[in-house]
Amino acid sequence: MAEITENMIKSKDNLGAPENRIEGFLKVTGKAKYAAEFSVPNVLYGFPVRSTIAAGTMTDIDTAEAEKAEGVVKVFTHKNAMKFNPAPDVESTNKMTMPKSVLNTTAINSFGQYIGFVVAETFEQARYAANLVKATYQETDPKIDFDKYVDTAYKPDNANGAATDTQRGSMEEGMSNASKTLDITYQTPIEVHNPMEPHATIAVFEGDALTVYDATQMLGPSKVAISNTFNIPQEKIRVLAPYIGGGFGSKLRAWDHVMLTIMAAKMLDKPVKTAITRQMMQTNAGLRQLNRQHMRIGTSTDGKLTAMSHEVMTHTAVDEVFVEQAGFITRTMYDTPNQLVTHRVFDTNIQVPTWMRAPGETPGSFALECTMDEMADQLQMDPIAFRIKNEPKTNPLDGKPFSSRSLVQCMQVGADKFGWSKRKQEPRQNTKDNWLVGYGMAAASRAAPYQESSSRVKLSYGDDGLEAVIEMAATDIGTGTYTIIAQTAANCLDIPVDRVAVNIGDSDLPATPGSGGSWGAGSFTSAVDAVCEKAKSALKNKITSDSSALTTADELMKAAKLTEFEMEATEGPSEDSKKYAHFSYGAHFVEVWVDEDLGMVKIPRVLSTSAVGTVLNQKTARSQVVGGIVWGIGQAMTEETTLDKRYGSYVTRTFADYHVPVNLDVGDIEVHFIPEEDEHINRMGVKGIGELGITSVAAAIANAIYNATGKRMRTLPITPAKLVDYEKQPVA
Amino acid sequence: MRPFTYTKTEDTAQATSKLAANENAKYLAGGTNLLDLMKEDVERPDELVDIGLLDLTDIKETSTGVSLGAMAKNTETANHPLVRKNFPMLSLAILAGASGQIRNMATNGGNPNQRTRCAYFFDTAMPCNKREPGTGCGALEGQNHMHAIFGWNENCVAVHPSDMCIALAALDATVTIADGNGKTRTIPFTEYHRLPGDQPERDNNLERGELITSIEIPKNNFAKNSYYVKVRDRSSYAFALISVGAGLELQGKTIKNARIAMGGVAHKPWRAYEAEQFLKGKEATEENFEAAADAEMANAKTLEHNAFKVPLGKQAMVRALNVALSGEKV
Repeated sequence: MAEITENMIKSKDNLGAPENRIEGFLKVTGKAKYAAEFSVPNVLYGFPVRSTIAAGTMTDIDTAEAEKAEGVVKVFTHKNAMKFNPAPDVESTNKMTMPKSVLNTTAINSFGQYIGFVVAETFEQARYAANLVKATYQETDPKIDFDKYVDTAYKPDNANGAATDTQRGSMEEGMSNASKTLDITYQTPIEVHNPMEPHATIAVFEGDALTVYDATQMLGPSKVAISNTFNIPQEKIRVLAPYIGGGFGSKLRAWDHVMLTIMAAKMLDKPVKTAITRQMMQTNAGLRQLNRQHMRIGTSTDGKLTAMSHEVMTHTAVDEVFVEQAGFITRTMYDTPNQLVTHRVFDTNIQVPTWMRAPGETPGSFALECTMDEMADQLQMDPIAFRIKNEPKTNPLDGKPFSSRSLVQCMQVGADKFGWSKRKQEPRQNTKDNWLVGYGMAAASRAAPYQESSSRVKLSYGDDGLEAVIEMAATDIGTGTYTIIAQTAANCLDIPVDRVAVNIGDSDLPATPGSGGSWGAGSFTSAVDAVCEKAKSALKNKITSDSSALTTADELMKAAKLTEFEMEATEGPSEDSKKYAHFSYGAHFVEVWVDEDLGMVKIPRVLSTSAVGTVLNQKTARSQVVGGIVWGIGQAMTEETTLDKRYGSYVTRTFADYHVPVNLDVGDIEVHFIPEEDEHINRMGVKGIGELGITSVAAAIANAIYNATGKRMRTLPITPAKLVDYEKQPVA
Repeated sequence: MRPFTYTKTEDTAQATSKLAANENAKYLAGGTNLLDLMKEDVERPDELVDIGLLDLTDIKETSTGVSLGAMAKNTETANHPLVRKNFPMLSLAILAGASGQIRNMATNGGNPNQRTRCAYFFDTAMPCNKREPGTGCGALEGQNHMHAIFGWNENCVAVHPSDMCIALAALDATVTIADGNGKTRTIPFTEYHRLPGDQPERDNNLERGELITSIEIPKNNFAKNSYYVKVRDRSSYAFALISVGAGLELQGKTIKNARIAMGGVAHKPWRAYEAEQFLKGKEATEENFEAAADAEMANAKTLEHNAFKVPLGKQAMVRALNVALSGEKV
């Protein structure tokens, strides 16, 4: 698909080497066990029963027929479920740890809500019996239609933890001072994560001790959520997730199937396994909400921003608020004296939204970076020059200096490698057979959070010399965590990578913040580097002779006359790091071919540059960016969850209807890392990479489609129907 | 999945008699559609008769054309020299459908019998006259961007999903059918599938116990100038928003005969007779192609979300005819 570029970065000695995944052999030979694959003796199989309405009350649920079906052990409903009594002092605002009772209500809030849970001897028996459970309802008109309920919007307390509204200067003044203005609305649809591995949970009680095998990105918070829900002491709970087949945010929370499985195991005193179906992954495991984004922008004649606003309208569930911070990127990206960013939300009978890869930036960058392109076009200015003209010196949000910001280099290097200078500013200038050819770009930014993490190192001697085991409650959701941990330890301890064993995916190990928000790599490896350094210092202190010439762990172990040694450390953000604003940056350049008659688009080429501080492994880092770009192509061209406005049911129920991009949708992808040292963010200089790749890809594609066709596609995804039916699309 | 019995047979008569004896029995061939529907609780057979071993796999030349065995796989059919040489439109159409893995399993006899992919048909929580007669059509006033613009009524707006069948309809194929009494009959492919009428639960005219044994394609003069265009929501592995199979028989610049069929527009493969009629005897020009497409699309009746199929259908038909005219090789 794409070449691996050769700009190797070795900012930390031998880190950055494109090592193959150390667990790769286990994965391709089927030996790496994912949650549902663990074999537990005498396990029973759970299968949820889902509501067939989106709003109302369940008047009755009849389980008689299901209970008679072969192999059925128990059918749980609200009539016989455990009565949940979460501790009243438990903080309920943290969605990863808050208690979550199941089957304790007859209220139906969204289509597919779990209303029952069949436990049987086999999966097939449980699924069949679930079809035999019959519920009756008192239905109410479900709130589904965005336009019908948008007027009920209110101001939420926060936008995924960020400020709901921010204002600087006066938009009115900034717009009236502008010589060019635009007022445009963009819309991004509901999307579903659809990781390759469906969610699955096995719950096993041994006495009062609970072991949970779970497809989760978060071991510690899952443990807390289970503890809070069932009033089980945390030290009695062990969550195991050695391998996870993709998360993308959908496995950050412990969803209801986790609690159903544990409840059944507890009440039946037997281990229970639940693997939810692809259909349930559309209705019961979170989604990215539809974001309608109203943008206003004003500039001087020479392209200096005078005003910019980003007003977001979205929806949440009737029983829980989650608001994606889609406007956040506009607060930090460009320098403008007058700015307004707001988020509004209204309640619907659609399941609660949740984090999805680059929450905020993914939809927000589409609106922001298309707006910038539209204004550059108005100004007859090169889009890169326009962005550079408005490059801020400090973070516009809080005035903090950036720990590192290589956006300009990303754009310039990318432009050079892509051949941007060949692009004609005027659209519809370039054809090839039936195709209109266009080029587009967009700048990308993603917050780079860094969090405290712990790690343990165990040193010992094997046949080939010093060996290390690194232990921590980290997760590898397919990103390469195992490998970068091994590389970091090998680098610090001066031993080959293949002499480092990595033991993660177990909540009993030293705590980490888990995999999410692109903080995993920086947080995990900083803790690993810290514990290895701490071990070396401790060894030095044990040496009575002169140890000043000794540097490697092996030398120190031998001088200390030790054959085994163990150390634990915790590493977190320094006071220095808190003085800075932390973001990763990048730029995407896209070539598109558009067949206007048939509404078809080909994307033969995407070139991306990323500046993410230290690159720990060229291969896995590149894969992260490539994966992000592929999803960006999906966001731009194919992915959309649609619901029936009358029933609240999902029309896109399976992979046949929810179109993720296929190989033929993806052309050549070229990824370049811009050398960058970030001395402030953490001891490894690692910024986030997992989410940067998707950010702004859709904008770059839409901008390229404009360059090809002169059509501004402001509502995603850009389907053949929309391209053919262009005049009916919302225009400025 | 509901409990069911499973038997395997190598004998066509035995297979058809089993189906004739049990109205809840189903044939299992490639299983690429039936098994999905059983998991979804849409199809609920209590008996599966596996016909994968029936000796109906030949693809051969006959005195009148080419015969495609019902149990030959889609992949083999698409790549068969007889098909590629004589009916390139069919080869293109098959390869435009599904994925390599599915085509390796799917059979020529099974393909015409696949059910619609209408989401309301698949979701047992939704009304659907095709799945459960009398419950109404969920898609009529629901999400219907995939749905019909020709031949639908308020009972059903679903479309037939196959690509292969669009080419077979255009090529005037016939279907050979065996019944449970050792008899066979033959019907034109264009009359195999049905419009919804007042029995939308019936996709085709196959009677209980009957089994497709082969599909015959008569010799024709379209091979040199034929093409299949498919427009879908992603580049591969998606059902057609619109597809058009077109073949031209030319005499100089004059169109002696045209064969055009459309997919993604109706409850059955839609033969564009109006367009064919218009083109017969006319010069093969872009203007005439457009006029022919306009003539066909004039009868379209759109739903809330599928009005785009009218301009797209026209443009796809013109494209198919233009490429067919150019004689570009597959």
